[in-house]
Amino acid sequence: MSRYKQLLFGGAMLLLMLAGISLIYGAQTLSINTVLHTLWQGGEQDFIVNDYRLPRILIAILVGTGLAVSGVLTQGIIRNPLASPDLMGISGGAGLAACTVLLVWPNIGSVWLPVVALFGGFSAALIIWLLSRWQQPSPARLALVGIAMSAFLSSCINFLLVIHPIEVNSAMIWLTGSLWGRNWSYIWPLLPWLLTLVPFSFYLAWRLDLFALGEETAQALGVDTQRLQIMALLSAVALASVSVAVCGTIGFVGLLAPHLARLLVGSRHQLVLPIAALVGALLVLSADTLARNLAPPLELPAGVLTAILGAPYFIFLLHRYKGW
Amino acid sequence: MLIKPIFKLFVIIQLILGISSVQAATIEHDAGTLTLTTTPTRIVVLAFSFVDALAVAGVSPVGIADDGDKNRVIKSVRDHIGDWQSVGSRYQPSIEAIAALKPDLIIADTGRHQSIYSDLTRIAPTLLLKNRGITYQENLVVMQKIATAVGKSEEVANRLAEHKKMMQGLKQQMETVSTFQFAVLTDKGMWLHTPTSYAGSVIAELGLKSPLSADNDNTYLQTSFEQLLKTNPDWLLVGKYTKNTVLDKWQKSPLWKMLSVAKSKQIIEVSPEVWSLASGMLAAEQIATALASQMQR
Repeated sequence: MSRYKQLLFGGAMLLLMLAGISLIYGAQTLSINTVLHTLWQGGEQDFIVNDYRLPRILIAILVGTGLAVSGVLTQGIIRNPLASPDLMGISGGAGLAACTVLLVWPNIGSVWLPVVALFGGFSAALIIWLLSRWQQPSPARLALVGIAMSAFLSSCINFLLVIHPIEVNSAMIWLTGSLWGRNWSYIWPLLPWLLTLVPFSFYLAWRLDLFALGEETAQALGVDTQRLQIMALLSAVALASVSVAVCGTIGFVGLLAPHLARLLVGSRHQLVLPIAALVGALLVLSADTLARNLAPPLELPAGVLTAILGAPYFIFLLHRYKGW
Repeated sequence: MLIKPIFKLFVIIQLILGISSVQAATIEHDAGTLTLTTTPTRIVVLAFSFVDALAVAGVSPVGIADDGDKNRVIKSVRDHIGDWQSVGSRYQPSIEAIAALKPDLIIADTGRHQSIYSDLTRIAPTLLLKNRGITYQENLVVMQKIATAVGKSEEVANRLAEHKKMMQGLKQQMETVSTFQFAVLTDKGMWLHTPTSYAGSVIAELGLKSPLSADNDNTYLQTSFEQLLKTNPDWLLVGKYTKNTVLDKWQKSPLWKMLSVAKSKQIIEVSPEVWSLASGMLAAEQIATALASQMQR
């Protein structure tokens, strides 16, 4: 087996193991036999295993994949190691739109929320894109523009929370990024997006490799760079937005996962994408498992845990790319 | 086909044995109508005002979303119920911990738990009732609904009559010229509880005046020192959630002397758990008694 296949296999095994741990541990620890039995035949623990822990695990995997692939696409197209959907304000835009809607119509439900979040994400991306067209900033400056945009959007969110103090709670939990209370009904709206956009990003992969050589070289090699940029960005924004719509702004996954993947397998997108997806899924799943198990029955927001990992890494990156 | 006759037989046997727990209770709540065929015995509650209601009914819950701290349930309520298990925070109660208790009734807060209502109903029949932002009068209605659900409506009705008499009696002792304001304090800020909040509505119920203008539609009003100066209540009751609060800083300000409560020393520290968290009938009695004892001082 090649090293790459080993990595892929190892990652998948790790994910499976983590899923197993997540099924066993919680406010109530179950035995492996009980879990296996319940998975096949239901029974006394049917609710906890099949309707509570299992959908949460699947959502964590899907959302992690979505955020990671979105990060790979963003970094590929902006050719900036600091770019990621949350640092570019895309998650913030999706968050603001979803928050506004949640405060006005608290019962909007899991089907329409992704649509609203998509709208917010696209609006934020459009503003960033216009700013970058106008300014032609260096990568570090573009990251700063993105951070400023994120800060601006989160201040808008804070403003909303201050003027609606009673309805804050659900929105607040959702904002810190949490998989609390997420069940099967959240999976179905998420699945079609991922099933189309993740394969589509593989279709874009070799074009992104060429794009990495520089816009002119890619054009000379027959890539319609403008189209590529638009398609990749649209997919990235859509993936990030639907993920945010389901479990809020789980930060830094879109930044960390692609980096770790590149560190492991180099920079070819075809190879980076599956590994990044695995890393993203692992990150979100472990964050959620920890969130449920650090101090049961108290639950922590998973987003706080990914931020604990992600924020120092971001500072390290800024330090490493000093010259940019 | 077979199930129906068996069920009938079951009911008949129960009737013969005269088991009183077979009584249907129908409760209107925020997610529709809930019919209970038996009186629930294993109840999980996800908000403090519902614990208060159960204490009045004399029923002990098996689980409470108490934020992992039993002292958050006030003593006057704790004295009436047995021990319970924590099911996590009120914001994100652990659904697993609730399911593990195998409850036969869950009472959840409309403001906080609407999004998990469908999950909760899969564990046990669930009542969705208002807790967050509830007023004194609203809470009395909610309390009676809970009483019906646990089959104690008569007992609670009697206790309620007693409570009303008590409140009437205390109301007579109040002076109605001064203004009263309750506020929650932390190291991050001060929040005035307006007459639409629980403590505010108890104060209003007692015939006491609020320093805030009537057109205020906020329940909790975050307040700066300047706004406090403008509000300038005659009595200020503060509930501190943290040891150090913004008040410490404000007291050093030269403008502090401008506050009437600074001159009259009518600034009184009260338990934030009783005045804000609990929002139940027993808490209201404590609030009213505390106010009355201040009057007589």
